[in-house]
Amino acid sequence: MAERAVTDLGFGLGLRSQHYPAILEGTPDVDWFEIISENYMVDGGRPLAKLMAIRERYPMVMHGVSLSIGSTDPLNMDYLARLKALAARVEPAIVSDHLCWTGVAGLNMHDLLPLPLTEEALAHVAARVDQVQSFLGRELALENASTYVTFAQDAIPEWEFLAEIARRTGCRLLLDVNNIYVSAFNHDFRAIDYIDAIPREAVAYIHLAGHENNKTYIIDTHDHPVVGDVWQLYAHAIQRLGPVATMIERDDKIPPLEELVQELAHARKVAAAALKKQAQVA
Amino acid sequence: MDLLRTEHAFQDGLIGRSQDVLRVVRGNARESAETMFGVYRKAYWARLVEALGNDFPALNALMGDEAFDRMARAYIARNPSQHPSIRWAGRRLAEFLAGEAPYRDDPWFGDMARFDWALAFAFDAPDAPAAALADLAGMPPEFWGTIRLQFHPTLDHFGVSTPVDEARLRLLENADVTLDRQARCDRAIMVWRIAYDLKFRAIDLLEHAALQAMQNGATFGDMCELVAQQVSPDAAPLRAAQILQGWLECGIVATVGHEGLGSAA
Repeated sequence: MAERAVTDLGFGLGLRSQHYPAILEGTPDVDWFEIISENYMVDGGRPLAKLMAIRERYPMVMHGVSLSIGSTDPLNMDYLARLKALAARVEPAIVSDHLCWTGVAGLNMHDLLPLPLTEEALAHVAARVDQVQSFLGRELALENASTYVTFAQDAIPEWEFLAEIARRTGCRLLLDVNNIYVSAFNHDFRAIDYIDAIPREAVAYIHLAGHENNKTYIIDTHDHPVVGDVWQLYAHAIQRLGPVATMIERDDKIPPLEELVQELAHARKVAAAALKKQAQVA
Repeated sequence: MDLLRTEHAFQDGLIGRSQDVLRVVRGNARESAETMFGVYRKAYWARLVEALGNDFPALNALMGDEAFDRMARAYIARNPSQHPSIRWAGRRLAEFLAGEAPYRDDPWFGDMARFDWALAFAFDAPDAPAAALADLAGMPPEFWGTIRLQFHPTLDHFGVSTPVDEARLRLLENADVTLDRQARCDRAIMVWRIAYDLKFRAIDLLEHAALQAMQNGATFGDMCELVAQQVSPDAAPLRAAQILQGWLECGIVATVGHEGLGSAA
């Protein structure tokens, strides 16, 4: 299993192809990069070459979107084999994906679909996390996805569901603070309650991102800067969890790298202030 | 409803097969289940249409955004994605356009989709060195008839009936460019990659037939016979040699092998 030192990585960004030249030609103040695993599960060409050139200079984390850990379809072993091969090449600090499912009956909806939060789903996901960790020979980190609906049969709060999966399987958690904020707004719960219920030793790293507020619900678009409320929630998370590797995820309307580096510098300041406050309280 | 039935109902709701999912999902204090489920449904279609637009930029420019969106939704409805990477969602699009009304009535659509797809395929196909003309230098004449080629793994080729090779770049530079949509041709296009640069070249039907034969394991001798059926017997060896030379010069050959000596590259 991977070393828990993933939490000490510092402050990172999601690697996007638009930034390859700026990363390779400059020395951006970024401690590590997170890659979308599926983008590099290819046979050759420019994407893999750029990836490995950047990997020579920065630690990386692999983040997938198609593991479909909650699907009732069998695990896709071809996909897992490709994921494992990519991990052997990239040697990431950790491999992560989402608490979600992406399709059934052999189809892929290419979205992070919500699970009913039931004992049945919990047992199902935990068994599959065991299977994946055993196949990969390393820990997996699961991220809380933003959700827009709940289910009539829901019986367990999402934070308890995630914590229990971590407890049963030893997997880590990727805490997306923006997603917590989005889901809390969409489903009328307190975001702070979610963060306070997460076992601190399970948290591998934190995602920050922007969203689109439609007044009556929020969509997790990842195409805006992080909003003030999410920064406050992040400060709360760091005060509670201590230093945790943190990254900013921008998936659309990708700005110049420098803009994201500046946003990352703000994350460093927020975290430093939160840790100072934590020390004062202690 | 158990997990399996819930997931199937959810997916059926996304792709429009049924709305049973609305019996098990909940909205919030402000919005109905239908509205909130609609966030997923809209995102499903929008994401796939966007992915197809990225992989088929020239087809999108040829059709215009509105018609492309309509076509893409019809394609997705018939061919839901089955691959973990959305990058493969369009693998049946050229086939769909060639067979489906009204798109099949305009061969520009299927040809341009096939061209876009070949470029997308070559972009991240396996890396491999290319053989060079020098690999033939010094080869004793008696071995030439037994030459067999392994082609570069990025190579794709296909017949077209419209001059999409001439129109593609113009369309990408200016989607409003005036094209002669009645123009027809009878040729093929080869697409491949050298290092990270995508290449393409139009070839005549004779060269295309030779390429297909060599790719299927024919020897250079077999290829000369095939060429001789189209040109005079005297001219066939020279024409076949020119074709082989062209392939080696443009970088679509990975290895040159011949009987007794194996691979020369």
